[in-house]
Amino acid sequence: MVTLKIDDKQVQVPEDTSILKAAEKAGIWIPTLCYSELFEPYGVCRLCVVEAVRGKRSRVVTSCNYPVREGINVLTNSPKIQWIRKTILELMLARWPNVKVVKDLARDVGVEKPRFVSLQRDEAEDACILCGKCVSVCREVVQANVLGFAYRGIKREIALPFGVQSEACIVCGACAHVCPTGHIKMVVEDYKGKKPEFTLGPKTAIYVPTLQAVPRVPVIDADSCIHFKTGGCEYCAKVCEPNAINFGMKDEVEEIEVGQILVATGFDIFDASAMAQYGYGTLDNVYSSLEFEMMLNSTGPTNGQVLTKDGREPRSVAIVHCIGSRDTNHHSYCSRVCCMYALKYAHLVHDRTKASIYQFYIDMRAFGKGYEEFYVRILDKGVKVIRGKVAEVVEAPPAQKDEGSLVVRCEDTLAGKLLEIPVDMVVLCNAIEARRDSDAVRRLFSISKSPDGFFLERHPKLDPTSTMTDGVYIAGCAQGPKDIPDVVAQASSAAARMLSFISKGEVEIDPVRAFVQEEYCSGCKICNSLCPYTAIEFLAEKKVSHVNEALCKGCGTCVAACPSSAMTGHGFTDAQILAELDGIMV
Amino acid sequence: MAFEPKIIGFLCNWCSYTGADLAGVSRIKSAPNVRVIRTMCSGRVDPSFILKAFQIGADGVIVMGCHLGDCHYQEGNYKTIRRIPFLKRLVKGFGIDPRRLRLEWVSASEGDRFARIVNEFTEEIRSLGPLKLQVHTELRKTIHEPVEVV
Amino acid sequence: MKRYRLQLMVCAGTGCVSNHSVEIKDALDREIEKHKLQNEAEVVFTGCNGFCGAGPIVVVQPDGVFYQLLKTADIPHLVEEHLLKGRPVKKLMYSPPAEKIPIPKMSDIPFFSDQTLIALRNRGMIDPEQIDDYIARGGYKGLVKALTMMTPDEVLKEIKSSGLRGRGGGGFPTGVKWESCKHAHGDIKHVICNADEGDPGAFMDRSIIEGDPHAVIEGMIIGAYAIEKVHQGYIYVRMEYPLAIKRFQIAIKQAREYGLLGENILDAGFTFDIDIRRGAGAFVCGESTALMASVEGKPGEPRAKYIHTVERGLWERPTCLNNVETWANVPQIILKGAQWFSSIGTGDVSADPWGGSKGTKVFSLAGKVNNTGLVEVPMGIPLRDIVFKIGGGIRDGKKFKAVQTGGPSGGFIPESLLDLPVDYEELTKVGSMMGSGGMVVTDEDNCMVDMARYFLAFTQAESCGKCTPCREGTKQMLDILDRISVGEGTEEDLVTLEDLSNVIVESSLCALGGSAPNPVLTTLKYFREEYEAHVKDKKCPSHTCRKLNTYSIDEKICLKLGHGCHVCVKHCPDAAIIGERKQVHYIDPAKCSKCGVCYDVCNFKAVQVA
Repeated sequence: MVTLKIDDKQVQVPEDTSILKAAEKAGIWIPTLCYSELFEPYGVCRLCVVEAVRGKRSRVVTSCNYPVREGINVLTNSPKIQWIRKTILELMLARWPNVKVVKDLARDVGVEKPRFVSLQRDEAEDACILCGKCVSVCREVVQANVLGFAYRGIKREIALPFGVQSEACIVCGACAHVCPTGHIKMVVEDYKGKKPEFTLGPKTAIYVPTLQAVPRVPVIDADSCIHFKTGGCEYCAKVCEPNAINFGMKDEVEEIEVGQILVATGFDIFDASAMAQYGYGTLDNVYSSLEFEMMLNSTGPTNGQVLTKDGREPRSVAIVHCIGSRDTNHHSYCSRVCCMYALKYAHLVHDRTKASIYQFYIDMRAFGKGYEEFYVRILDKGVKVIRGKVAEVVEAPPAQKDEGSLVVRCEDTLAGKLLEIPVDMVVLCNAIEARRDSDAVRRLFSISKSPDGFFLERHPKLDPTSTMTDGVYIAGCAQGPKDIPDVVAQASSAAARMLSFISKGEVEIDPVRAFVQEEYCSGCKICNSLCPYTAIEFLAEKKVSHVNEALCKGCGTCVAACPSSAMTGHGFTDAQILAELDGIMV
Repeated sequence: MAFEPKIIGFLCNWCSYTGADLAGVSRIKSAPNVRVIRTMCSGRVDPSFILKAFQIGADGVIVMGCHLGDCHYQEGNYKTIRRIPFLKRLVKGFGIDPRRLRLEWVSASEGDRFARIVNEFTEEIRSLGPLKLQVHTELRKTIHEPVEVV
Repeated sequence: MKRYRLQLMVCAGTGCVSNHSVEIKDALDREIEKHKLQNEAEVVFTGCNGFCGAGPIVVVQPDGVFYQLLKTADIPHLVEEHLLKGRPVKKLMYSPPAEKIPIPKMSDIPFFSDQTLIALRNRGMIDPEQIDDYIARGGYKGLVKALTMMTPDEVLKEIKSSGLRGRGGGGFPTGVKWESCKHAHGDIKHVICNADEGDPGAFMDRSIIEGDPHAVIEGMIIGAYAIEKVHQGYIYVRMEYPLAIKRFQIAIKQAREYGLLGENILDAGFTFDIDIRRGAGAFVCGESTALMASVEGKPGEPRAKYIHTVERGLWERPTCLNNVETWANVPQIILKGAQWFSSIGTGDVSADPWGGSKGTKVFSLAGKVNNTGLVEVPMGIPLRDIVFKIGGGIRDGKKFKAVQTGGPSGGFIPESLLDLPVDYEELTKVGSMMGSGGMVVTDEDNCMVDMARYFLAFTQAESCGKCTPCREGTKQMLDILDRISVGEGTEEDLVTLEDLSNVIVESSLCALGGSAPNPVLTTLKYFREEYEAHVKDKKCPSHTCRKLNTYSIDEKICLKLGHGCHVCVKHCPDAAIIGERKQVHYIDPAKCSKCGVCYDVCNFKAVQVA
């Protein structure tokens, strides 16, 4: 520990601490411009100068990088220091008269108007003041080394190598983040015309997925994390006191042996940008159901408030049913849950805003216990429920802008009228659909799908949770759209089925099995390599093949391939099939 | 009376048979000419079954299995896909139009596809006319003498 | 080795080479062959002789007869007279400006006689491309002594007690620096030779390298041995010194061949080698941290030196950087002992390493003196001796005005302080510095505002731009000086200038900014009246700042001597001169842009400046 005085205040700090840090500890403010905790002090703005006094010797040093020394007295605001700071700020103000951070600092130290005029005067408000923060952050934190200075002296400027966009730039935006004047800007490409990467997502590369996550620990998004692109940064590890961050962790594939599997892989929602008439992805304030659900969440990006993109409360909200469902162009099935969640949205929007709410439906399917009652409650709240499929959502013409930024066009099929309703926000009730990867998952488990793309159960009425593959069960929206009570019921049923197997302790197998008639077997071994279950082995002493009946699944491929008809199968012998043939040809 | 083709269909238990079932459950109308024999896997279809079917008077044979990669037994249908083209060349040597033999993939969810294929194939056979195959009765007997199952 | 009766030492320093000394050697060779004297006389190229103003130079040894300002046409006569007939040629010898009697011997010429040679002791004596020449003059003897008879600690102690201080300008005691580096934590350490001599008009380091590269290498090996854990050294030379680079390359190759570099030097179990790094010529790369950044391949920009480079320098390793001249002094100190070295110079360094300035210092003497060139003088010699004895006084009998020491960032010292002894502390006290050893003498014709502006323009252009005061401040100062020199300055400007200078000195990141305002500060201090003339009277006393001059034509001279020659009319870019041929000419002050061309072209000095 080193003891020193700062402005006659005694401070004790560890060795190698900078004076700036020590002053911070003592509660003394020193102006800085090029300093940042993120990287090594660059020490170029010279605003943080202080006088380090030892005995009669006094030395002007920059506090950001001057390490504390035992017994020195630091003067942070002596007349000499004030004079230096003022002059430096005068020089800066002469060159960049309109940069806010320079103006503010100048005002803080009492400079009104500089004594000088600079011939290199740059009057832009976002002029580069050559503090070098972007260069340091790119070099030391990001370690991409993209930015640097070009030319020297008064001509010095921030530049990319050879003045061209560098391939080494990972577009992390760190430079724009640290730039004190806004000279470096992160230009976000306008999302119009593109599938939006929804702005409600996490803002950092390390985040807690949801507040309800178990275990509730942050995860690193390796695709966005600077460290995984350049090997640099590691700032999270630096601030993590328990040292819990491990960049060495790799995705692992763990093999677990199990006897039964319940496939409950869930669903995707229909991508509404396929229905261009609703303007999803092209118009502001048109949300999918999942996005709106995030907005309503009290831990979400708006803390549960219903807000338009510019942060206002909407004056009216349209909730549009059957997006992609009950539509022969997309999914002909009914997505089942949408009517009820649409009513829930109406309920919540009514609770949280003063907006007028419109529901556009084809048929209102409030089929479950207590659902119809909820529907009636919503009607009582004054939600306008219009029977008719919305034709299109368009941007409001200028004349109608003051009523709503969007216009919903629809035919009210009960009144037989065409409607044009101005609204501020449109919520689309996207259909539930089979997951994008469901075919791959299906093949993995040798299960089938029904025409709607969801996994196929063994029997729609008698066996709705098991599949054609023994030991593989399905539940939830992987099997078909359903609401939470139904999912719980189906999953419980599947679990019960699995438990019954476990408690039984033994497995019954189908009697359909292949076997070898050893007296006909020539020992050619053709069957041995055909079997996908390696159920056929060759008995070396007898020189015949043999089927392990516990492994055999009875597909009969070996039977068909046996050149000497020695291989045959219970229930499907050649004779039986030929007899069948004979029979049906009558 | 118009010619009604007799067609033998070998359907795999897991996909095509279920698909055919779905077509029935869905009340999809399809030609009644296909007489279905269920096998556990299309890979179980012994080439001799097909020859036998033609021998005893079938005008066409259709083998249906799961789509490639979907096989319940992992790779049975790959065996089938090797056998059928070979058989087509063989039956040509016997004087049978190879178009009378067909291999199709129908999954459990493709009831409509099943019906479409059946209709299409029936029409094709109908246009080809009856298969007039001279069969030696003795020969028929020797083929028809499989090993009895104990 | 072959022995000759006579050896003709032809100076092959850059100054003499550009004055065709190579042709002189060729002519000498030709003539010697013609007279069949090949076995009696040898012509040798040497490094810089130092008396650059007198080049090309040939010294005939062993007599030490000095011939200057030679032309190829003089050679047949010289060879015939001196070599064949033994009669030295008087008209080719040096004679002091005031007198007409030539001085035949080099050692009698005041330029040489008042010098003390340590770093330059081999100048003009050896062929720098021959290691044997160096060894014959006692070279590598110091190394042998250090490696075989002394421990590293003893070597360090010797350097420490010698009082040697950094010759690059800072004057940091070399022994203290070595010691800090020795005690710094680290398993790999480096030594660097700073040969990035960027001061305009300075060529001390270049001459040492070109004339005696082995002395530097020997010094570095001794230093590496004393500091320990040093196995790799670097020489940072600027690309503008191709001959120096070549001489170093040859010297390093020869030293390796002789087992003086590489593994197990002199069987003493000590391994050390040297590589050359070439700099692209940025002035700031002469600053140690910027130099190290440059060696590492980074942009040459300085960093704060609160953690010294002896602790964390090149690649974060302890690094000992010394200037060419410092290294060149080391072998002699080891060989002759610290006591001998510390007997030269001022002060007492036995207790305080900063207590005095010991040994000699090489200066490149330039400007308005009669004898320009390279001089090595003992510390403590009065400035007056350098200017008037060695330099031979001011050219054309003009009046001395000031001498600037220490390169572009040095201050100007007026005549009143001329008796100042040359010493680190003394020079700093008067606002100048030792610097690397530039010395520019100005006379009454020089405008001090213009001189300050000239040097500031150099440092401003060479500022790396990293820190605010140096980047913005020097430019601002230059703008003010520009204004003053065209008559737009105000008295307030002088106050601002002084204030700004002090801020830059106090707050700059490195020594470049910290010393850049020195010329301005010293001229403001010692020649304030000149500034005041510029801002108050809008006049430049020495008529250098042309925008402040008024040009007129003396009718009498113009007509009587020049007969209205019309030359000025032809050259005037503004058509401001009126007058027919053979008539009196006049200058129209309304049109005159004060370029001064008329003054320059008038052969009769009819154009008057006021």
